[in-house]
Amino acid sequence: MSNPPKPALECRDVTVKFGDVTALSDVAVSFAPGQIHAVVGQNGAGKTTFARVAAGLVQPTAGAVDVMGEEIRTGHVSQSRAAGVELVHQSFALPPSFTVAETMEFGATGKGGIYSRRGLAEKWRTHLAGLDVQVDLNRRIRDLPIETQQGIEIARALVMDARVLILDEPTAVLSPSGIDMLFARVRRLKQRGVTVILILHKIREVLGIADTVTVLRGGRKVEGPLPIAEVSAERLANLIVGDAIAKTLDRHERDALVGTKSPVGEGAGHPENATGPSVLSMTAVSTRPDSEGIALDGIDLDIRPGEIVGIAGVEGNGQKTLVRAISALADLASGSIRLAGQDVTGAPLAARRAIGLRIIPFERNVEGLSLTSSLWQNWSARELLQGSLLKVIRPSAVREACDRSLREWSVHYHNSMQKAGSLSGGNAQKVILAREVDSDARLIIAAQPTRGLDIGATAFVWQALRQARDRGAAILLISSDLDELFDISDRVVVMLSGRVNGEFRAPFDIASVGAAMTDAAARTSA
Amino acid sequence: MKDSLLTVVRSLIFVAFALVLCALVFQFAGYNAPTMLWAVADGAFLRSGAIEQSLRWALPLFITAVGVGISFRAGFFNIGAQGQFYVGAICAAFAAEAFKGGPAFLVIPALIIAGMLGGALWALWPGLLRLRSGTDEVITTLMGNFMAGLLLVYVTSGPLKDPSGSGQQASSRPLDAAYRISDSLGLSPTIIGIAVAVGILMWLLVNRTAFGVLASLAGRNGTMVEWQGARLWKLGLSSFVISGALAGLAGTIEFMGPNGRIASGFLPAHGFTAILIALVANLNVVGTAAAAVFFGGLASAALYLPIMAGLPAAAIDIINAAIALFITARSKLVDKVLRLGGRPS
Ligand SMILES: Nc1ncnc2c1ncn2[C@@H]1O[C@H](COP(=O)(O)OP(=O)(O)OP(=O)(O)O)[C@@H](O)[C@H]1O
Ligand SMILES: [Mg+2]
Repeated sequence: MSNPPKPALECRDVTVKFGDVTALSDVAVSFAPGQIHAVVGQNGAGKTTFARVAAGLVQPTAGAVDVMGEEIRTGHVSQSRAAGVELVHQSFALPPSFTVAETMEFGATGKGGIYSRRGLAEKWRTHLAGLDVQVDLNRRIRDLPIETQQGIEIARALVMDARVLILDEPTAVLSPSGIDMLFARVRRLKQRGVTVILILHKIREVLGIADTVTVLRGGRKVEGPLPIAEVSAERLANLIVGDAIAKTLDRHERDALVGTKSPVGEGAGHPENATGPSVLSMTAVSTRPDSEGIALDGIDLDIRPGEIVGIAGVEGNGQKTLVRAISALADLASGSIRLAGQDVTGAPLAARRAIGLRIIPFERNVEGLSLTSSLWQNWSARELLQGSLLKVIRPSAVREACDRSLREWSVHYHNSMQKAGSLSGGNAQKVILAREVDSDARLIIAAQPTRGLDIGATAFVWQALRQARDRGAAILLISSDLDELFDISDRVVVMLSGRVNGEFRAPFDIASVGAAMTDAAARTSA
Repeated sequence: MKDSLLTVVRSLIFVAFALVLCALVFQFAGYNAPTMLWAVADGAFLRSGAIEQSLRWALPLFITAVGVGISFRAGFFNIGAQGQFYVGAICAAFAAEAFKGGPAFLVIPALIIAGMLGGALWALWPGLLRLRSGTDEVITTLMGNFMAGLLLVYVTSGPLKDPSGSGQQASSRPLDAAYRISDSLGLSPTIIGIAVAVGILMWLLVNRTAFGVLASLAGRNGTMVEWQGARLWKLGLSSFVISGALAGLAGTIEFMGPNGRIASGFLPAHGFTAILIALVANLNVVGTAAAAVFFGGLASAALYLPIMAGLPAAAIDIINAAIALFITARSKLVDKVLRLGGRPS
């Protein structure tokens, strides 16, 4: 290693403070060019903040940033861009009504002007093809699957000949096959000489793609960049959560979290608990087709108290509609739904919630939280809706209750008046959990509850769901992560094209579950 | 709380910008800008009796603006305060005809209720259209303003026409003195009492009830509130109706108080000034009170400008428009200045 090449990106003692919160403190790290670097750490560790400093979106309180050996003026997007640093955000948003070509043109150049649709499509076709994004350039963003949208977002970031591409939790929105596609794309970028920095949570993903890994904890750099060959999954987990916490995780949980073992979970398997009358009972439920997703087609599903039922399936096979149907947010064409013995087929969501329905929705930032409202308002919405609208409240008392609850769920926040949008992704999810997992919950729908959560927080959510189960709640868990499903479900139901395509009990066999996920012919029951 | 302070400071900076801009414009137009600014301050607050005069305008504006704030908070852009103000006054005027001769302690509340119902009704249909078929409420309420304006022309030159009217402006028969709630100066304990009661009740509604919290959540993210099981129409429609009722109340006060009658096209800028006030106050009830006093001052200065600075009274409209421009532009620059050395966002 004599005369090493200049680092692609180097942070020198970067500190970022938001008011009283120190998001990064004295972080010094340098990333070698032409490699794939992973950055990991717990929720709120400062990963996104680091990325935003590099991209010029945040002005550090102290410290300097070098790109390719040249110091850049921090806090200016244009400077970072000019130096070749591009960031794809954790929750990116493309304009839904734009066509792909328009998105590329105006998103990348930011210039207006007269254009013809055909001209634009011509212009961007080669660029997208070069990055292996297969898409009709005249389709609108809202009609595209999330994988393709992400591909476009990456392509957009690469228009300006980026030399350092930072992807903030790109895998959080993807299905397993989408992740494979993304990683293939990232490897091709590496071949083209682009330095890629990936912010990730899953250790398996880190070990699978990265050349080096850097660990942040509490705003400080713990280690890194470490060559990937020198770290084991075990060690990485310890580095992320800290040795003290690592010791408290049991063996079984650890394996599922680290996710290096191939998923043949024995499952939690408490069928002996699950004997009472069904909490949720759906009989031949079909929904009317609508714009929000594929319709349900004759779903029969029963969940008993004390049971966690996992829904497996490739994304877009009716999981969202299932959640909407149970939540009275989709129109039923036929069939009936019973909740805790009561027929709620025509009942509104408020009535179902009063019976004990709780929902951790798919879209955390849209369906779960109002990002521009304060934490206490977000947290109290469920309870406030149970009483009369004119009920007098004392905000200070509500805020205290909110503080107590959020502390119980170990949410990292400053005070309950802060906007939900200022929390890190994982902490935002915990606020939803704190609201939805209460002692009156009888059926908890958990849709991708651990998406974007760090391994400590993931273990915490699993624990919370198990505890709710042990209290006698029924839980419907929807996840694209088979490790997660197999680890905590008592039963796994596979959905395909809006139908139930197989039901499995522990021990789960990955091969047959996988077959049921993709093949209608494999209608088996183990 | 620091945040709401910040918004007030920001609004004041906008207002200052707007005043300076207007002063410059008038300077170039050949007027004496310092004299003009002085005339505004003098006419609004300094001259003896000016404060009373400013409050006379401020109180009805405050009532309408609080209502506007409530609908805006819930995410419904009720631009129709002007129309609801007119329909409220019209309904109160009809009720006055109907209850003529009754005892004042019954008739006065009845007229007030009639006026509020009228305003509420004029907000109800755009609200229903929005919720039933998604019709943009900005357009319907704006149209509602014109319809109410024409209705006012019709009733003052038709059913409620004052036959002895001088003919310059069609107007209704004057309200019996027994039912008036103030003299023509327009400031009386009754009106102050109504405004204070409205202020307190609405502050409680916004800050101390489940409705307040949920409506504000719904205004910022309706989807989230729906996933909590709320009926958006309940929150939205009631906010809409409350704002209409309050605008109607303000119209009724103008009718039963200072004006004593309704005239076609009276106070044509009331609703829009109220919207401006709500925006300057960032929809906050206490801030609305402060902003209403300020704009009430401008309204009273308008009458004083021609005498003092030789300016047409319409100069105040230009000042209002300039403030509106700055408020809606929400300049990034001011944000940056205010966050000086502060948190990047
Ligand atoms: N704009 C902001 N205002 C105030 N605090 C902020 C802001 N942005 C981030 N923070 C705080 O800084 C800390 C680091 O946040 P950051 O978003 O970088 O975490 P992260 O590692 O990306 O977490 P996650 O895995 O949950 O996305 C957190 O405590 C967060 O609450
Ligand atoms: Mg983050």
